[in-house]
Amino acid sequence: MHIDTAVVLAAGEGTRLRPLTRNRPKPMLPAANRPILEHVFDALVEAGIEQLVAVVGFKRDRVQDHFGPTYRGVPITYVTQHKQLGSGHALLQARAAVDGPLLVMNGDRLVDAGTIEAVDASYDETGDTSIAVVERQDTSRYGAVQVRDRDIVEIVEKPQEDDYRLINGGVYAFDADVFDAIDETTRHAGELALTDTIELLLETDRVRAVEVDGMWVDATYPWDLLTVACEVLARGRVVESARDERVWVDDSARVHDDAVLQAPVVVGPDCEIGPDAVIGPDVALGRNVTVGANTVVQHSVLDADTRVDPSSTLIDTVTGQDVTLGAATVAPGGPADVQVGTEVFEDQQLGAVVADRADARGDVSFVPGSLVGPNARIATGVTVDGTVPEDAEVVR
Amino acid sequence: MCGIIGCVGRGDETLDTLVHGLSKLEYRGYDSAGVALSSDHVEICKNSGKIDDLREALSDRTLSGSVGIGHTRWSTHGPPTDANAHPHQDCHGDVAVVHNGIIENYQSLRDELVAAGHTFTSDTDTEVVPHLIEDALEAGSDPEDAVREAISRLEGSYAVAAVVAGCDAVFAARNDSPLVLGLAEDATFLASDVPAFRDFTDQVVYLADGEFARLDADGWTVTDSDGSVVEKDVDTVEWDPEETGKSGYEHYMLKEIHEQPRALRQCLRGRVDELSGTVDIGDLGDLSPTGVQFVACGTSYHAALHGAQLFREAGIPSQAFLASEYATATPPIGDALVVGVTQSGETADTLSALRAARRRGARTLAVTNVVGSTAARECDHALYIRAGPEIGVAATKTFASQLAALNLLALGTSSTGDARQVISALRDLPGHVQEILDESAAQEIAEIYQDADAYFFIGRGYHEPVALEGALKMKEITYKHAEGFAAGELKHGPLALVTENTPVFAIVTGDDERARKTVGNVKEVEARDAPVVAITDGQSDVSRYADHVLELPETHPRAAAVLANIHLQLVSYHTAALLGRNIDKPRNLAKSVTVE
Repeated sequence: MHIDTAVVLAAGEGTRLRPLTRNRPKPMLPAANRPILEHVFDALVEAGIEQLVAVVGFKRDRVQDHFGPTYRGVPITYVTQHKQLGSGHALLQARAAVDGPLLVMNGDRLVDAGTIEAVDASYDETGDTSIAVVERQDTSRYGAVQVRDRDIVEIVEKPQEDDYRLINGGVYAFDADVFDAIDETTRHAGELALTDTIELLLETDRVRAVEVDGMWVDATYPWDLLTVACEVLARGRVVESARDERVWVDDSARVHDDAVLQAPVVVGPDCEIGPDAVIGPDVALGRNVTVGANTVVQHSVLDADTRVDPSSTLIDTVTGQDVTLGAATVAPGGPADVQVGTEVFEDQQLGAVVADRADARGDVSFVPGSLVGPNARIATGVTVDGTVPEDAEVVR
Repeated sequence: MCGIIGCVGRGDETLDTLVHGLSKLEYRGYDSAGVALSSDHVEICKNSGKIDDLREALSDRTLSGSVGIGHTRWSTHGPPTDANAHPHQDCHGDVAVVHNGIIENYQSLRDELVAAGHTFTSDTDTEVVPHLIEDALEAGSDPEDAVREAISRLEGSYAVAAVVAGCDAVFAARNDSPLVLGLAEDATFLASDVPAFRDFTDQVVYLADGEFARLDADGWTVTDSDGSVVEKDVDTVEWDPEETGKSGYEHYMLKEIHEQPRALRQCLRGRVDELSGTVDIGDLGDLSPTGVQFVACGTSYHAALHGAQLFREAGIPSQAFLASEYATATPPIGDALVVGVTQSGETADTLSALRAARRRGARTLAVTNVVGSTAARECDHALYIRAGPEIGVAATKTFASQLAALNLLALGTSSTGDARQVISALRDLPGHVQEILDESAAQEIAEIYQDADAYFFIGRGYHEPVALEGALKMKEITYKHAEGFAAGELKHGPLALVTENTPVFAIVTGDDERARKTVGNVKEVEARDAPVVAITDGQSDVSRYADHVLELPETHPRAAAVLANIHLQLVSYHTAALLGRNIDKPRNLAKSVTVE
């Protein structure tokens, strides 16, 4: 039977995306100019899901405030995971909201409706647990799977050996017994991982692999948001009306006649763009973004309420919400070595990441790869290099 | 102030439809509820208490009938008892009536009916209606004429719905109380408000005062008081029924507090242009007021106080009046524009004040949240605040949206030197509100002071209405003593109330003369050992004298007023939650007060 209920796991913070996740969970970060989770819900609704269950936890208000009780006419039930104790534990929270077979997805990954339909069809046909699998070069970053005759026979988290070709695509169809299986799963370091439950299922049941090749992108690190935006724009997954070939502008946005929009670009509701600004290519402006005269923005994602004053240049830049960049701000972009936690990532194409409500007063330069924490205050004329912590005041 | 519903064409589901509709109307009143179903006889079930109590009572009864009416009550005449719950019946039990409003001549009608031998079983004004219908039926009128004749005897405000045994129709009439029809493919509904039937249809017809409606198997007809058919426009409501769900929050109030960034965005959408420094509320035409008088009640009155300051600052004489006073003691109006601020557009006191102004030839403008509401239809102009449905009895997001809308009104109809700064601040407002929602320390403050004897709120200029509103919110949902004062007034009396167990919330932004004077008032309080909670953007040195600080971002003082209020909403909410109050439905209160 066709599955009509989907559980979406959206409780985690996404620590490697800090400082952008200071005020919201990873699924609410922008994929172009809409939250990642909105794209996930889109795919589910297009695949015919009639009941959404969102498992929320970290900063759950942000999810609830954004979506409210329904999405595109489909009711959403919210269940709370108070402590983030793994994906299996997250799914367990949805037990009371589900009666019957269910689809399970992560709230932070963009997939096609076709992928979901394929997993649903496999379950429909066989009655067995079905999981999307995706071909990937770098299986060591993901959960790898071994498949024999359409059946998954092995599942390994982040394998050291490179003899795997397929990874767990994170789209699952289960019957309601999955909750009992989670109950029986052994915790590791206090956490219940859904993949451990699947390993357990492999001992007794058939688990079908559904190989899919549609869109499959997620954001792990801040610069991934730029890649995700390009992907979304390339596929035209935007809701604003098309003003020109791959130029989407919301009806309530005000773009000065002398501003230039270079495709692909999306301009969200209530945005204002001043004269002689050049926006694009590969730029997503969220709601209520203001771009002053003569400002150039390329290959960047500026989230809601960001304000960029005149004569600024932003390349390869990600801003959070309500960020203010004063006149003549410069982020020239380009390859950079970026430190996240204790790891250093070399040659990432990243101008700057400026988190929610940070305020650069003007004439501020960002050395490529700079990370600015939420609420940071940067005085006029400062050159930012490296990491600026949350609430910091940088005077020189 | 009650909610009524009626439906025809739902067959066996009539009872469920009525009860479901009542649950959606519960915000209008909730001390008793009842339903009546009609076939060849009329059956009723009613009792005091909430809709759930009615469901309980219905669980061991079977009511049959394919047309019906229902009612949820908020007492005006007589205490909330089973007998006083609607529907009310005639002596034979062949007629059932539900009513919202007040029948002003009920005493004389009742005396007349009692003298004629009718027996009354309740203390309500409503009960005269079924007995009047009974008289008309006995005199030989058909059911429709009988209801019509009874209605023609009534004076006052009413929305009435009636069923008569042996007649598969619902009759309804309105005067000064809201009533709307809902049109589905094979069923017709009537209700005080759209949510009652929004799950079944989005096609609605708003009745006007003096109109009479008949709903039956053939559909619906609306007639005027002479019985001539009135052509009515069918409107489509745009919001989704699910918008009234709680989306994961414990209470509607908390959900609505969190909806404020979105509500403000909707209010401002397409109306402000920062780059050119202009505001476009073009649908209002050219008002160019030479004076403005605001009329409003409760929270809306606090918004009106803010609005009056905006116009005064632009050099236009302006005052805010309590609508209930204005209606009966109307001041000289001159050429002033009279602006009614009412969330529901149905607030009886405000409607009455607006009518008093119109009788004197004044131009009127409604600032309201409800398209098609009585205020919007009766006034010359309407400015919609676009906050979306608000279910919690304590107004939250509609206050923020009222303030934003009044700023648009002031900017769009008068000129101020700093229009561009204000527009910029308005555009920043949704993001700033989100910042407070993310970071407010309100819950900690609520935990510390939940056992306080009383709460005082002070502010000056744009923050005075916020102080009043902060106190009102605290009273409404925590049932604790709370007062708001203009900061300078404290020393002229209320300071006597201040003790070490009465926290004082002081709103201070900027570092101008107003701020410095308020800081002076804070020192007076601190010297009396009262704990001080400063709501401040940190520009003045008020935090030196405060025990706690609720932080605001730096912005224009007009926008700061909206932001300060968000903290106070959260303090009240968390205090009420800690005290275990019924937050969405505080005792003795109802959402929109449609009685004077």
